Amino acid sequence: MGQTLRLGLAVFWLALSANLYATDLDVPEDLYQDPDWLTLGHYQPGPLGRGYTSQADDDRFFLSPDGKHSPKAELEATLRAIQTPGDGDLHARCRFPARDAWLRERLGLPRSPVTCPAYDAWKRTLNTETVTLVFAASYLNSPSSMFGHTFLRLDPPQQDEQTNLLLASTISYAADAQAHDSELLFAYKGIFGGYPGITTVQPYYEKIRLYSDIEHRDLWEYTLNLTGPEVERLLAHAWEIQDKRFDYYFFDENCAYRLLALIDVARPGTRLLDEVGTHAIPSDTVRWVVDKGLVSRVYYRPSAATSVAYQIDQLPAPQQQLAAAIANGYVAPDAPEVRALPEPEQAAVLDATYDYVRYQSEAEGWPRGYAAPLSHRLLMARSRIHGAVPKDTPPTPPVRDDQGHDTFRLSLGTGQQDHREFLNLTLRPAYHDVLDPPAGYRPGAQLQFLRLDARVYTDNDELQLERLTAVEIRSLSPRDAFFSPLSWQVGFGARRTDTGQDRVLTPYLEGGAGGSWRLGGATQAFALATADLEIDDDLSRGYDAAPGADLGLLHQSDRLSLLAGVRTKAWLVSDQHRRDQLYLQGGWHLGRRFSLFAEFSRDHHFDRYQSLWHAGLHAYF
Amino acid sequence: MKKLIAGAILLGASSMAFAQPGCGVGAMIWKGQSGIAPHVLAATTNGTFGNQTFGMTTGTLGCQTNEAVQSMAMYMDSNIDKVARDMSRGSGENLDTLAVLLGVEQGDRETFRKVLQDNFATIFPSADTTSGEAIDAIVGVLEQHEALSKYVAA
Repeated sequence: MGQTLRLGLAVFWLALSANLYATDLDVPEDLYQDPDWLTLGHYQPGPLGRGYTSQADDDRFFLSPDGKHSPKAELEATLRAIQTPGDGDLHARCRFPARDAWLRERLGLPRSPVTCPAYDAWKRTLNTETVTLVFAASYLNSPSSMFGHTFLRLDPPQQDEQTNLLLASTISYAADAQAHDSELLFAYKGIFGGYPGITTVQPYYEKIRLYSDIEHRDLWEYTLNLTGPEVERLLAHAWEIQDKRFDYYFFDENCAYRLLALIDVARPGTRLLDEVGTHAIPSDTVRWVVDKGLVSRVYYRPSAATSVAYQIDQLPAPQQQLAAAIANGYVAPDAPEVRALPEPEQAAVLDATYDYVRYQSEAEGWPRGYAAPLSHRLLMARSRIHGAVPKDTPPTPPVRDDQGHDTFRLSLGTGQQDHREFLNLTLRPAYHDVLDPPAGYRPGAQLQFLRLDARVYTDNDELQLERLTAVEIRSLSPRDAFFSPLSWQVGFGARRTDTGQDRVLTPYLEGGAGGSWRLGGATQAFALATADLEIDDDLSRGYDAAPGADLGLLHQSDRLSLLAGVRTKAWLVSDQHRRDQLYLQGGWHLGRRFSLFAEFSRDHHFDRYQSLWHAGLHAYF
Repeated sequence: MKKLIAGAILLGASSMAFAQPGCGVGAMIWKGQSGIAPHVLAATTNGTFGNQTFGMTTGTLGCQTNEAVQSMAMYMDSNIDKVARDMSRGSGENLDTLAVLLGVEQGDRETFRKVLQDNFATIFPSADTTSGEAIDAIVGVLEQHEALSKYVAA
């Protein structure tokens, strides 16, 4: 009885003293507004600067019931919780090691040791010395991947140069989509919210397999110059947000955004998140990281597709034909014509052929029944050649993706449309078109979002919305003896269309598919079959549709980009006329900040000819 | 040190795989991508469709639960094509990663690469070789080798 009483008293005293301890602390009144604390809680100021809301959408991320909206309540609750005696995985100090460390340092609390078995084991497994930001570039023939993707790699202490980095862990943040959701639903929910974002830890080789082998995306590895304590903070905070739900939004709260928050926590005062305006395009976020002086080293890891194209390119023409013959089954990997070559050349042919067969199996779905036995024979033949070091790997591109032009474009121009003069203003928040400076972007790829073109006609000072491009994707990928990609385009928005009497603003949907062939280094010719649909009251039958064709030439170089061609559209329903157009567009690049542009087109429509010319300046921000 | 432990444990599992038939066979080489075609829009929005690459690991995990071996088995499961390629060439980062997992010291790496290249036909006897069979064969080949047997010795 007495013992129970004493125990009760002791507990009471303990609770009281913990409480006293907390209240005795000299906590500055506005500590909860400290940027570091707000970063740790992922708090953002509310609209009009009133109040705060955390981006975390998970009760387990908060210790106070009001934590989601009150950094103050959360700070008080955290302060109380971390001073509660005890330890173990469920203790606040183990659940929120980054908050714990920050508060202790800030308030001069003793850093008494604490045992957190799960967190400690996790850190031991990750075995991290440095952190690398990895950027997955966009892939061949898929401009829609142009935004890129970023994740963090946790590099172990280096004993073996590059090698054991394949086993390093990565931290990534992505929308956790339902596997059965269709792509359209995915796009909708991805953009407007609806999927939980989750933080996952995976070995780097799994990432390489996904991005480099399956999706054909080159990887850029930016090793960050974080110090030991900074890496420790990053891991502590990664632990806090791991498995916590943060709703995922494509434009801003995306993969790149959450990583920026981690870096902000790691190095207080970095304020990378302040750079985020309306959207966080991963390639832009890489620029910010580079600009803030966080990068010590950059390494380029070409994708399987880049490597195989390069290897084939390095072969002399007769050996390219031999490789194609082996890949297509006309010549055996150990046939006399292969063996007649000197060993290093045999090795080069077999290596390129094997990689090509693997690429075709992944990308073009060559059946296993054909590709696997052929792959095996190729490797058997190759294993008999010793000492032939594989050919050089593809060189690092001279301009990285983050060194290309900035993605926001503002254009001012003047021109004449059917003898009416106008001034034109174009705003394009993202991303790149084929006439922009090409360095750092995939040739022939175009992706534009929310582009707005407005004109003021000077004869009567009339302001007109010329065009609103919601989305426009174009991919012109040259075909050759080894690769036969489809060139395609798709777009929708609203544009001026000629009804014969007037130019009316009409919603449209357009698409096209065809092929492209390289004519020389930076020039390609393309031919596309196109389809257009317009729906508007002002059209005599309410809508119109046109099959068509687009034949053209595209040249892209650092100084000059040119696009010229002819297109025709047979408007079948309302208009009932064919529209033929000759077009010529060019960009003269003044570095990567500015570009002069000019375009000319001549139309034949409704039995009359009309001309447009337009010239001006693009500026990239 | 860690690597040595990983190597030792790998050996343990491999010997166990000999001793316990039915532990599983792992991924078949060149089994193709079977439905992991890139989702265009998923790539755009940077989403993940469940475990598209993870969790394809198969039976080699059936007979033991050690983490280091799991990573070795998983490594072979996901990278068997690339390991086979590097092995036929006698060089490459995937072959080096195997050496790391086995704890092969720098001084023995050259021999390690050469021995595996020489024995390619033993390790990958057919176009239907599985990662489990390949791991067993690698251990078998190394056990026969004077300088390398210590990396797979008990």
